[in-house]
Amino acid sequence: MKPSPKFKIGVIVVLLIAVFIILNLTDFSKEIKNLIFLISQPIQKTFWKMGDEISDFFEMVSEMRDLKKENEELKLKIQELTAENVALKERKKENEILRTALELGLQEEFKLEICQVIGKDISSDTILINEGFKDGLTKDLPVITQQKILVGRISEVYKNFSKVQLITQKDTSFDAKILDTEISGLIKGEGNLRLFLDLIPPEKEIKKGDVVITTVLGGIFPRGLLVGEIEKVIKSDIEPWQQAKVKPAFNIEGLETLFIITEF
Amino acid sequence: MKKLILIFLGFYLLTLIQTSFLIHFNFGWQLGVFLILIFVAFINFFESPSKKTGIYSALFAGFFLDIFSTTPLNFFGFWILISIAIASFIKFIFKKHVQVPKGV
Repeated sequence: MKPSPKFKIGVIVVLLIAVFIILNLTDFSKEIKNLIFLISQPIQKTFWKMGDEISDFFEMVSEMRDLKKENEELKLKIQELTAENVALKERKKENEILRTALELGLQEEFKLEICQVIGKDISSDTILINEGFKDGLTKDLPVITQQKILVGRISEVYKNFSKVQLITQKDTSFDAKILDTEISGLIKGEGNLRLFLDLIPPEKEIKKGDVVITTVLGGIFPRGLLVGEIEKVIKSDIEPWQQAKVKPAFNIEGLETLFIITEF
Repeated sequence: MKKLILIFLGFYLLTLIQTSFLIHFNFGWQLGVFLILIFVAFINFFESPSKKTGIYSALFAGFFLDIFSTTPLNFFGFWILISIAIASFIKFIFKKHVQVPKGV
């Protein structure tokens, strides 16, 4: 008697279920997998390598298409970052200057306004700063560095800018004294970044290297600001006063960030 | 018998290609196990319902998928059941009830 197709299908289904149960309940499925993996390993390795190389090639081709665009984007990014970096460096510098000023107690002593030097005219002993009457500046305000070195005073005020007359300019004169002594004299600007200390009593002993600071006499500058140091003492029998060449304490090359004393 | 061996080897090779070669290519979506199931569907679609090659193909395809792919619940035989179900659906139900138009 020939079995019917339905019977055949039924037998197959039962056999399949039995096989699955046996395979899943025992470790036999693992054995089969292991055997097939072992056999397939060399072929799989070859396919894997081929696939890897071909996909790398296509990846490279597609990347090359985007390379120009990416390059332009990166260049733009570099420019942006460079600009940002410059701005940050400026901020850092300003921060350091402010910190130095803070350490010296400048903020406690005076009311200050920070400014940047935007132009220098050494021949006429003037500099241009980026603050003007818009920022509350007026004529004759003293200008110093963060190290408390006297630079000059404001001679002209514009809306956004001001001109600073350096202490070395001709026609500039103010009272000064030698540090830690009672020897006082008159500082005169000689032009071309040179200073001169005049009207020193002849009996007073001054020497090269003595530090000159401002006094309150005249009321132009606050006292205690560093002016410079004696470079050469000039004594003459015919002159009633001693004189001395003074080397300014500020360095014109390094003047970038300055402070304006708005109140003292 | 020869035909069965050829189908067996064919699906073995196809599974290896799928798992070791095509895995490197991303076509926006991964073919995964579908390449083999699509082959099974194709064979059963174009084969006469009276022939059994499609069912054997489904059996071998499922077997290799069970070996090389991850099976849900770690159940060996999952892909065999799925591929046989697909083959049976196409061979015995879809082709019986859906008439494909012959040209326009």
